[in-house]
Amino acid sequence: MTGPNYSNKSRVFGLLLSFALIAGWLGTSAHAFSVVTTGGTNTTADGGDLGNATINGTLRDASRSSDDGTVHHMERFPVIVQDFGRVETPFIISLWIFCACLGKIGFHMSPRFSKMFPESCMLILLGVIIGLLLFYTHAATVSPLTANVFFIYMLPPIILDAGYFMPNRLFFDHLGTILMFAVVGTIWNTLTIGISLYALSLTGIFGDMYELPILHMLLFSSLISAVDPIAVLAVFEEIQVEEVLFILVFGESLLNDGITVVLYHMFEGFSVLGQYNLIMQDYLAASASFLLVALGGTAIGIIWGFLTAFVTRFTKDVRVIEPVFIFVMSYLAYLNAEIFHLSGILSITFCGIAMKNYTTQNISIKSQTTVKYAMKMLAQSSETIIFMFLGVSTVHDDHSWNSAFVGLTILFCSVYRVLGILMLSAVANTFRVQKIDFVQKFVLSYGGLRGAVAFALVLTIDKDIIPAQPMFVTTTIAVVYFTVFFQGITIKPLVEMLGVRKSSHRKLTMNERLHERSMDYLMAGVEDIIGKHGNFYLRDKFKRFNTKYLTPCLVRDTQWSEPKLLETLNYIKMEEAMSYMHNSGHPPEQIESFAALYRTAHNAAHNAQLKQGDGQMIGEIWNLDVAELEYNPTAKHINDANFHHMLSDEYKPIKKRRHGGTYKRHAVQDEEMVEGSTTETHRNRNIRQPFVNHHHRYHHRKNKDGINGKAGGSDHIQKLNGTAITLRNDYIEQQMRDNPAFQPDDTDPGSYGAMENKDKAYKRMSIRGPVVAETTLPWRRHILADRPTRASIVQRRQSVDVDNDHVPTMAEMLLPWKRGDDLDGNSEPRHAEHPAWASNEDYIDTDSPSNTYLRRIGDVAKPNIQDIFKKRNSSASLYSISESSNGLKEALRRHSNQSSPKKEDGRKRSHEKSAYSRRSSLKDESYWRSALSDVPRRGMSMRDSRENSEPSSRRSSVRDIPSEVGGHGGSLLNTAITEEEPRASPGGTTPSPRAEHVINMEPAGDTPNTLETDRDETKF
Amino acid sequence: RYRAKPLCYHCVESKFRVRLCVKCYFLILYNMGNKSSVMLDEQDIKALQADTGFSGSQIERLYSRFTSLDKGGSGSLSREDFLRIPELAINPLGDRIVHAFFKEGTDDRVNFKDFVTVLAHFRPIKRSQENKLNGRDEKLRFAFKMYDLDDDDAISRDELLAVLHMMVGENISEDQLNSIAERTILEADKDNDQMISFREFCTALDRTDVEQKMSIKFLK
Repeated sequence: MTGPNYSNKSRVFGLLLSFALIAGWLGTSAHAFSVVTTGGTNTTADGGDLGNATINGTLRDASRSSDDGTVHHMERFPVIVQDFGRVETPFIISLWIFCACLGKIGFHMSPRFSKMFPESCMLILLGVIIGLLLFYTHAATVSPLTANVFFIYMLPPIILDAGYFMPNRLFFDHLGTILMFAVVGTIWNTLTIGISLYALSLTGIFGDMYELPILHMLLFSSLISAVDPIAVLAVFEEIQVEEVLFILVFGESLLNDGITVVLYHMFEGFSVLGQYNLIMQDYLAASASFLLVALGGTAIGIIWGFLTAFVTRFTKDVRVIEPVFIFVMSYLAYLNAEIFHLSGILSITFCGIAMKNYTTQNISIKSQTTVKYAMKMLAQSSETIIFMFLGVSTVHDDHSWNSAFVGLTILFCSVYRVLGILMLSAVANTFRVQKIDFVQKFVLSYGGLRGAVAFALVLTIDKDIIPAQPMFVTTTIAVVYFTVFFQGITIKPLVEMLGVRKSSHRKLTMNERLHERSMDYLMAGVEDIIGKHGNFYLRDKFKRFNTKYLTPCLVRDTQWSEPKLLETLNYIKMEEAMSYMHNSGHPPEQIESFAALYRTAHNAAHNAQLKQGDGQMIGEIWNLDVAELEYNPTAKHINDANFHHMLSDEYKPIKKRRHGGTYKRHAVQDEEMVEGSTTETHRNRNIRQPFVNHHHRYHHRKNKDGINGKAGGSDHIQKLNGTAITLRNDYIEQQMRDNPAFQPDDTDPGSYGAMENKDKAYKRMSIRGPVVAETTLPWRRHILADRPTRASIVQRRQSVDVDNDHVPTMAEMLLPWKRGDDLDGNSEPRHAEHPAWASNEDYIDTDSPSNTYLRRIGDVAKPNIQDIFKKRNSSASLYSISESSNGLKEALRRHSNQSSPKKEDGRKRSHEKSAYSRRSSLKDESYWRSALSDVPRRGMSMRDSRENSEPSSRRSSVRDIPSEVGGHGGSLLNTAITEEEPRASPGGTTPSPRAEHVINMEPAGDTPNTLETDRDETKF
Repeated sequence: RYRAKPLCYHCVESKFRVRLCVKCYFLILYNMGNKSSVMLDEQDIKALQADTGFSGSQIERLYSRFTSLDKGGSGSLSREDFLRIPELAINPLGDRIVHAFFKEGTDDRVNFKDFVTVLAHFRPIKRSQENKLNGRDEKLRFAFKMYDLDDDDAISRDELLAVLHMMVGENISEDQLNSIAERTILEADKDNDQMISFREFCTALDRTDVEQKMSIKFLK
């Protein structure tokens, strides 16, 4: 226990030390800078400072010397010059941020600290330390936090963050209460604090150092009475109280800005005018400006918010600048309000609130993420800097400490806050459904933190008009420190002691979303019945107005009147997919060879048919493929592929890449981004990689180790493996899909249309002839030579079928080394029950979707993700898939039984047709739709399934293979290419179609194929 | 879609585009000074107070609303009386809400007692007094009835779909609605019967602040 503690301490100490060093360095740099500037203003060249001289300085020195007529030695062109002045401001600001962030890291490294203190305390302390360092080194005497910097640059990000991520519903539910606290509460605090302090000042308790008229007191009280949003956010985000409480405190702190600004400017103006020069007109103007400042700020914010939403409606082609609009336009809203001295805080808050719902529907998900993180980052860094600057600004020698004034201010602030809350919540409770209880009242009054806004405001007071300004500054700092330190530190234990309900950060479930929505309608209806125009009624009205007018104006594609429901749905789907992918690691012994399953089932069926006297044609639908080798895909493979398709269909709309158009350097194409970066794609690759990668790697390793069962000369077999695997795999996958037992009941008429097209496509397809590779390549020619005619294939197959009780693969018949095996005995073809990678622990450990699938075979009770995915097109019952896939063997048996009668007519072509037509009863509509586009050009359409999920560009590159290669050979090439793809490095060059040929002719399995980088690159 | 015409609030009849027609305005003014217009016995009010927990003045206010809805003056409301309220007519759940006022098996009229009893479900919960009608369970039961179209005490997938259709309108893809309905059932369905029973419904909304969401501040 002591070990980590010690290391933590040493780490923290090290960090603090590094701060000191940085601060010291900063000090010296600043010092150096000041030396440089003074050197520049000096008329005589100062030899001692030559090293620090800037290039401007040297030139000026040189010119001055020549003016004097005395020629000093010329400055030659310097190798390096130091020009700190040029970068001073941004450099120092960056250093600040860097320091503060380091401080944050250090703070969170020691959990004991971070549990006890709020972060804001630490930052202020850090600021004080740095301030002290700067102060005693006399490096920088300027206070970094000026009111302008604060209000123009630092405040907006924090408030925008607050407004944009404001829970709208909650906020407007409690808007009445919030407004009451914000408006009445702030006025109450200002008046009571100001008048009390003034009354006490009359007794002379504050000494006679300053003259303290009532207007000055009110000015001070107006800035000190406002609850500070930054401090509230900083503290309340850590204590995580329930949402209602948080929104009450935070909403108040946001909205009281309008009042504070008005009061502040009012009393400032009055102070300038002088107490005795005020006439009625001034009072009237002041009260009018109350309304104007608050409502005007709000209105400007809302207008800018809607404008932003409107603009983002048209950003479809330039996704990258979407976040820019959101940031810049809300900042414009802030500045726009500030121009007229309206409440900028209100403006930017309502800008965020107004735009959020529409922009999230307009901008892409990427942009949403960008906006979210950029906003959080900006807000966090602003907050960090503000608190640190607060600390730094504390250290100066202009303080004017008045214990009585400071003490009484703190006392009045606390007392009147409590009184005000008690009073106002009593009033609020009369119209609230959910009463504010004692605990909430306590947190409300205790959470009234003062912060940087007050400090920045007090800095703007003109010392000439209000002589007591130094005392006000000191007192404000004291109050801020008191609230942030004392209240900030104690509020956490107090909240826990009082048992304040904590917030539960979670996404709503589908049920909650839906039922809450229906409850809203219900309550609106009930309010209509009793004739009351309450909250629900108003919300209903607004909602209706929104869907009718606002949304069509501001949102690009509006078909959906309940976007939140869809949002929840998508979120839940995503979560589920993720969790299934994560939880599906399972031991290898559960992997069951699908081929074995199939064969057993098939043989059983076949035997049954033999008894009936017709079993001859079974091989027909089996072997369309010469390249079928000893490799047998397991159910794992098939389900990997299935899952892959489901994921890609579900999450990635199949889009045609837009060719042509203008090239934009900064354009980030959405397809690219989706393709390149999302986790799904990675997962897809992982799914596909084992088919090739692991297998190959495994063999290579075996070769090296010398335990290779195969001869080195059978290299081409290995090369073919990828192809064979894919072909076979897809084939069986399709068999599985063909099988009615595996399919959901489909009532979607759309998919039938696709199927009919598919049928035609199949009919057009020719039977493949010898492949080019087979005729030309010496090591493949023997295949051709050995190849029987089509009829003889059928003949032989039949005979084999009758003789042996198993279905021989094409390879078994064609390849001499296999045939020998088969003819020797009646044994089944030798094949590895598990593919080579199955024993590879690296792979097993990876999350494989098929594990989910396989596990489900034994366990039907729970429906799983795949059902939901598969069911998206149909309205059939939810569990048909899981029920049917329950008995895999059963299903297969049924399939072979059903298919047998169709094979009786004996003509091969018609068999193929029937096989295809049955195959084309695949239900997965989108799968077929995309496959369809390639069918006429491709040799084997069965292959298509694998490319469907690939971007169309990749498809197009494959398509370029000359069609005269034709038939199966084309498909072989295609498959070889696509199988290579997952391994290809994304940063390669673009091969020509010819190069693709070469790639596939090469015996070596892993050519650096770079089809991944699509052909568009050549265009650019 | 039926476009709501702004009718007079009180008599629900006026063709003028005002919320409260002049005639009714004076009628209300007159009634306010004239308690005798409330044709309720003291005993009735007392009984209703005991049953529903409403205060006397709340009951009187509801009665005046009741009579203003009651066009025929028969002392009871029909479905048409309810649906004459323009906002209710375009409320997607309007039919369901009105339906909830009618007990099964009874004739197609709602008398004042039924009216008040149903509305009592939406009183805010008070800790000090017994919450017979407005407890959490009662409120949830009411929300549940919105979905339970065939009154079989369970929400089937079709019922959910129907309600979803009402709520989100036509121009949305069937797939997504299906998907939402399925998710909803899947999430709540604990005993795998493809239905959401009332218990499951309550469990699903365990963390929702139903007490607040289904309460209305009735005017005193």
